[in-house]
Amino acid sequence: MIGVGGSDWKHYVRKKSHVVRRRIRKGIPDCLRGLVWQLISGSRDLLLMNPGVYEQLVIYETSASELDIIRDISRTFPSHVFYQQRHGPGQRSLYNVLKAYSVYDRDVGYVQGMGFLAGLLLLYMSEEDAFWLLVALLKGAIHAPMEGLYQPGLPLVQEYLRRFEQLVKEYLPNLGEHFSQEMINPSMYASQWFITVYSYSFPFPLALRIWDVFLYEGVKVVFQIGLALLRFCHDDLIKLPFEKLLHALKNFPDEAMNPDTLLPLAFSIKVSKRLEELKGEHEKKNERSLLQLSMPISSSNLPIQKPSAVE
Amino acid sequence: MAHRVDHEYDYLFKIVLIGDSGVGKSNILSRFTRNEFSLDSKSTIGVEFATKTLQIEAKTVKAQIWDTAGQERYRAITSAYYRGAVGALLVYDITKKQTFDNVQRWLRELRDHADSNIVIMMAGNKSDLTHLRAVSENDGQEFAEKEGLSFLETSALESHNVEKAFQTVLTEIYHIINKKALAAQEAARNSGPPGQGTTIHVVDSSDAGSSKSSCCSS
Repeated sequence: MIGVGGSDWKHYVRKKSHVVRRRIRKGIPDCLRGLVWQLISGSRDLLLMNPGVYEQLVIYETSASELDIIRDISRTFPSHVFYQQRHGPGQRSLYNVLKAYSVYDRDVGYVQGMGFLAGLLLLYMSEEDAFWLLVALLKGAIHAPMEGLYQPGLPLVQEYLRRFEQLVKEYLPNLGEHFSQEMINPSMYASQWFITVYSYSFPFPLALRIWDVFLYEGVKVVFQIGLALLRFCHDDLIKLPFEKLLHALKNFPDEAMNPDTLLPLAFSIKVSKRLEELKGEHEKKNERSLLQLSMPISSSNLPIQKPSAVE
Repeated sequence: MAHRVDHEYDYLFKIVLIGDSGVGKSNILSRFTRNEFSLDSKSTIGVEFATKTLQIEAKTVKAQIWDTAGQERYRAITSAYYRGAVGALLVYDITKKQTFDNVQRWLRELRDHADSNIVIMMAGNKSDLTHLRAVSENDGQEFAEKEGLSFLETSALESHNVEKAFQTVLTEIYHIINKKALAAQEAARNSGPPGQGTTIHVVDSSDAGSSKSSCCSS
């Protein structure tokens, strides 16, 4: 199915995409994970098309974010054995990848949270591979670009949180109502879900399974997992007042974190169509407000608008 | 927000923890609310939340504390949490001059997004790292006086002054709230419901003579 170094992959994925999807949803075997991630994200092509670029970025360029990156290196997966050793190979690779990216895309630079993405990738591939996968994700090689999660103003975080809140209201109306009564909004518990694609605080076995699907199917699964968690814990959450509720939303029970329960539940929640519509609605609204912004200037010159005012 | 509720606690005060990334905000919070400190903690993404209930002048006060990601870009999300906050703990790292220089920018941030009456405590954290000190306590003190802030040097690691920093902020807020409540009562008593006071006065003065005289005569 994959072939040597992924040579048969493209052919297979075109012919049998539903088979690939089904298999990926069951979890990519750990020994193949690194390679498959690079194939399904499109990063392998970027790597092959840009020989020597990574080395150039790491060795010859300087980044304005270097100190920020260094400050966070020991605060990224601090209890993982690969990143524990101060200035050890894990921490060095992490630094190099983040620095290279901050040079490659100076508009994004380095933003807290990116370290968790890079840190997760580096457990399965080389620095250079991890760098290009990061590029593939942020620049949108296959799916919608993620760079808006990290650009100034974090526009995509705000947009995703808005859409998630709407989905909660529609798919879990009682819980959605309870959230609004308790004044809970998704920025209080779900920012990390989107910014780090569940790599920040979720157990690795679950995070990896989410990433398998995320890289193949796109950001949709981040919404699905979020909704699945809320649905799984629905009956408990709906009874809790503000503080306990917030605590529960940051500390889901172990049963909820089991990938073999949570993922099937997540896939059963169909969100693609609604997500697209919500995106459209927002864009329309934005256009309208842009229109309104320009309105007062032109309307004052338009006698048709207020005929009585024209003499 | 300062709510008064009948049970559990008398007052609920919302406090925000702000300051540059890596100055120790999350450890200050965990030290204060759970008496925990972690040398290898993760950087905060977004916002975290914890509460602690304590006694202030015989009243039970619950502090609801929002810990925010320090990196500048996160202000797009975190500044929404300043709204309704009655207190702020603005933290810098005494071993990193830059984090102290940035206090000015954090104050501007509070002025732009928070209530103008917000009580601010500036905390110079990591006071245990004396050999790495880059900001003197005196500089901190002077700056705080100039800006009208409370000030303490703290060490979340050694549990030094953390409780005191929060206690000070909360007590100050409590006093302000109390003063406001008193002033409101006072104002209510003085002006009274309009109309009513004046009518009583009129009736009083017109009847005064007769009633007094009758009182005296009897």
